[in-house]
This record gives sequence, C-alpha cells and structure tokens, in this order.
Amino acid sequence: MADTGQVATAASSKDPAVGLTAVRSLRVLVERLEALQVQNARDQGWTWEQIAQLLGVTRQAVHKKYASGRGPLRRKD
Amino acid sequence: MFERFTQQARQIVEGAQGQARQLHSGRVGTEHLLLSLVAQAGSASADVLAAHGLTHDSVAESVRAYVGAGDLDADALTTLGIDLDAVRDRVEATFGPGALDGGPAGRNTGMIGHIPFTPRAKKVLELSLREAVALKSRTIADGHIALGLLREGEGLAMKVLADRGVDLEAVRRELRTALQA
Repeated sequence: MADTGQVATAASSKDPAVGLTAVRSLRVLVERLEALQVQNARDQGWTWEQIAQLLGVTRQAVHKKYASGRGPLRRKD
Repeated sequence: MFERFTQQARQIVEGAQGQARQLHSGRVGTEHLLLSLVAQAGSASADVLAAHGLTHDSVAESVRAYVGAGDLDADALTTLGIDLDAVRDRVEATFGPGALDGGPAGRNTGMIGHIPFTPRAKKVLELSLREAVALKSRTIADGHIALGLLREGEGLAMKVLADRGVDLEAVRRELRTALQA
C-alpha cells in the first residue's frame, strides 16, 4: 500500500476522475462482498428474512436480487 | 475434443487459466489464450508470434490498455485508504481462491481454481479443432489454437493484434508452415 502521505493527497484530490473511479470500485467491491455473504448465509440455512434484516433492506429486495437464476455469483457478462 | 490436444496445446489451455488468474479476471477470454500462447517460449507458435513483435510483455501491455484495472481498481481504492490486496487475501481465506474476482466460491462447486471460459474463448478452441482437420492433423497443437484465434477473428486478442499492426495473413501462413514442418 502507498504511504500515508500519498493516500492523503489522493483522497483530498479535487479531480472528479479520481474520486468517481474510487467510488465505482468501492461499489463493485461492496456488490461482490454482498453476493459472497448472501450465498454463505443461504448455505448455512439462513432465511431471506434474516439476511434482509442484517443488510437493512426488505426481504423482497434481497430475494429479487439473489434468489433467481443460477445463484448470486452469476455474472452479467 | 480435448483428448486430441497435444501436451503443448494442453499447456496453452491451462496457461490461459493462469493468465486470467494473474489478471484477476473471472473469465478466461481470448486475450488470456493469446497471452498463454506467447508465454510458451520455444513453442512453434510462440516463435512465429514473437517474430511479429508479439511477446508476453508487449501483449500484456496492450491487454492492460484495454482492460485497465477493470471494475475493481486497486489504485483508486488506495485513495480511500482501502488495500484491495488485503481485502482479497481475507476474502479468499474464507471463500476460496478467486472468490472476490467472480470465480467460483469454491465450496459448492467443487471446482476450486477453475475459471470458466468465455463463449468466444470456447469458440477459439472449437475452431482449433477445425483448423487441425483442415490441415489434416490428427492432433490439435498450439499452432492450431493460434490459428483458431485468428479464425475466430473477434475478441480482445484480435484487437491487440490489430492495434499492434500485425500482418494477420502472414502470421496465418507462417503458423501453417510451422505446423507442417
């Protein structure tokens, strides 16, 4: 990892390209972690209700996102 | 079909998986097949490709220019104080190799470490069989895979070749000559 000074400089950068790229990467990271965790919870017998509660979303939302198709790890590409 | 692959051709296919893994790609695409072909130093097809300026370094550079850092940009995350490598290590420790990069989560699939091929990359392998048949070869060698890549004609590998101004007809001809040697 880059040294702290470098990180601080980049984080305070006003360049939208830097900030937006970081946000996009963070969103992708969150999506992938969520998919793994939801799959893991389902494997361990958790209900959609329980998963939704901890994710702070409705049961319908999490079910719609992950219950169809061939599992949460399906990729759109 | 795979039983007709020569030892070297098998190494190309397996090598493509390794190339995809190295680039943290969840799929094996035509670009990984190309990278694997040029990485097999001493193979007939690698020699032909190298003569046209296609070395592992040059191809990797072009591939990177297209793929960039992908959706998950480690440098961008560093600006937020997030170390993607550290996150990846922890996720893989729990969910298995490649878990964060869209690979199989491991435990369910029973295929740890296997990265699926894109439809285009599969097509290349099918076409390598056709190239072998056309050249009346009983086996499929690395050169046939290279010809399959050219025959498929699309995909990232071909973009790389086009960008580097490679004379596709000449490569095709030289690959055929090398195969018949």
